[in-house]
Amino acid sequence: MSSIRARLAMIVLLVVTGMAWFGQASIRTYEDYDRAQGQIGDVLELRAQVLFLDATSYSPKLAGRLKEKRKELGRDPRANLLSDIIQAYNEKDPKALRRRVLAFVDSERRTLNDALLRQREAERKLKQNAAVTALLPLVGLFMLWLTVRASVFRGIDRLSRRMMDFLVDRYSFQFSEPESNELGQLQRTFNSLAQRVINNMDELKSLDQAKSDFLSITSHELRTPMTSIKGSLSLLTSGVMGRLEPQAEKLLKIAESETDRLIRLINDLLDLAKIEAGKLPLKGDWVNWDEMMHKTAQSLVGLANAAKVRIAVQPRPGLEVYMDRDRMQQILTNLVSNSIKFSPEDGTVSVFASKTRNGEMLVQVQDQGIGIAPEDQELIFQKFRQSSSPESPIVKGTGLGLTIARALVEEHGGTIGVHSEKGKGATFYFTLPKWRDQTGHSPDADDVPAERGRGAA
Amino acid sequence: MKILLAEDDPNVSVITQLCLEKIGGHAVTVASDGAQALDAALKDGFDLIILDGMMPKLAGLEVARELQSRGVTSTPIIFLSAKSEEKDIKQFLALGAGFIGKPFDPQAICGRIDEILREKGLAAS
Repeated sequence: MSSIRARLAMIVLLVVTGMAWFGQASIRTYEDYDRAQGQIGDVLELRAQVLFLDATSYSPKLAGRLKEKRKELGRDPRANLLSDIIQAYNEKDPKALRRRVLAFVDSERRTLNDALLRQREAERKLKQNAAVTALLPLVGLFMLWLTVRASVFRGIDRLSRRMMDFLVDRYSFQFSEPESNELGQLQRTFNSLAQRVINNMDELKSLDQAKSDFLSITSHELRTPMTSIKGSLSLLTSGVMGRLEPQAEKLLKIAESETDRLIRLINDLLDLAKIEAGKLPLKGDWVNWDEMMHKTAQSLVGLANAAKVRIAVQPRPGLEVYMDRDRMQQILTNLVSNSIKFSPEDGTVSVFASKTRNGEMLVQVQDQGIGIAPEDQELIFQKFRQSSSPESPIVKGTGLGLTIARALVEEHGGTIGVHSEKGKGATFYFTLPKWRDQTGHSPDADDVPAERGRGAA
Repeated sequence: MKILLAEDDPNVSVITQLCLEKIGGHAVTVASDGAQALDAALKDGFDLIILDGMMPKLAGLEVARELQSRGVTSTPIIFLSAKSEEKDIKQFLALGAGFIGKPFDPQAICGRIDEILREKGLAAS
């Protein structure tokens, strides 16, 4: 019997049948007992009647009752003895009556003993049956327990171990031969599910690979022609190929600056795609903050000069921040160049680093531009969503700078945002969880999160 | 400075050559695939070898490895590559070579070349 259900039903059936059989037997034994009891009563009653017979005071009523009894006994051997007694009684012969009564009682003793023996035997059997009937459900329960333990619990344990194996290491998972019971059915279902998950994972993996390949090929296929275009334009505008008509030069400069913008857009798009695909792992390092800011400001001097904007960096000697050097420069460049773009002529873009109340480092990039309307403040971090304010003509953005900055700050375990009031400039800020002050004067050295802080790993 | 330039894209090749000659004033020998570049590098002595990362026949990385295994170790190598995947760049740097990503600014490329050579302690002559 393979099905667990059938096995359990079999046990229950056996117990019920057993109980019914023993119940029936008990009823029969009880009837035996009852019969013996009746016989005993019968014998005792007759004996009492006979013993109290008195030949000197004859009662026809008593004689009649004895005659009836005699009839009841029929062919019983005692009937003859009773006939003799009745006769002696009727003849009013005390001696004969006495003798015959004694003979009758003597014979009745055997009958009584016999009935008593049968009664005791029935009683014994009854107790036995009762014990068996009471034990049967217990035995049945025990057998049920054994079966459930062997088939159900062990099966479930085995199955859950297999599920854990699958959970822990999908690819070394082996499909096992299912048993032929209900749990086997469960295992078959689990096997199909697992197979489906493995297939889907493989499919996802190949899709992921296809995406990576696409990114890699796209970047190569886009950058190669951009190299030629950018190179040609740059060689022409630089004058090394000979002087040009002023109007032709102007056109070439436009083409060149638009090409630069296209290159930035391609790079930003590919970066964003990589960040979103989780393919831009951060290389964490302790970096001197002033050095990082100096490098960033240096790279933006050209842009700032063209826009007639000053970059003011508040120095923080000794401050070190845990970051990915290149990506932090990308964040800062995006934020500072964004602020330069929206600064008025002779304006200043200021960069501060300070500490927040919960011990994080706070970087603020402040401009004196026209500010950002509250309804635009969340919007500007989304892809290709620029503030509705008119844009400075000096550098055209790609519409991705702030989106990338946000993604990279979040990768570092920080948050990014902007405070602004229309007409009063804007302050972009972001937090970084891991920093230290090398001067040793930092009162909050203990506040610096442990190395295993989220983000930069 | 005598430079070997290996680049399979003819347009990029022409422009890079012009940049190096017109702006940097270098003498440029051009190879259009990895095998040619290897032959040229083994035949002539160069002050610098510039290799495109992806080329038919022999990729830039393989050319560089082949050169190193044949004892051409003193000539600095710079890779030009449109691939900016971290793992590609890591492979270039592991060979002790420099790396310039495409698209590059032709005005700046000579400066970048000098800079890379300086970083490696091989100042341009």
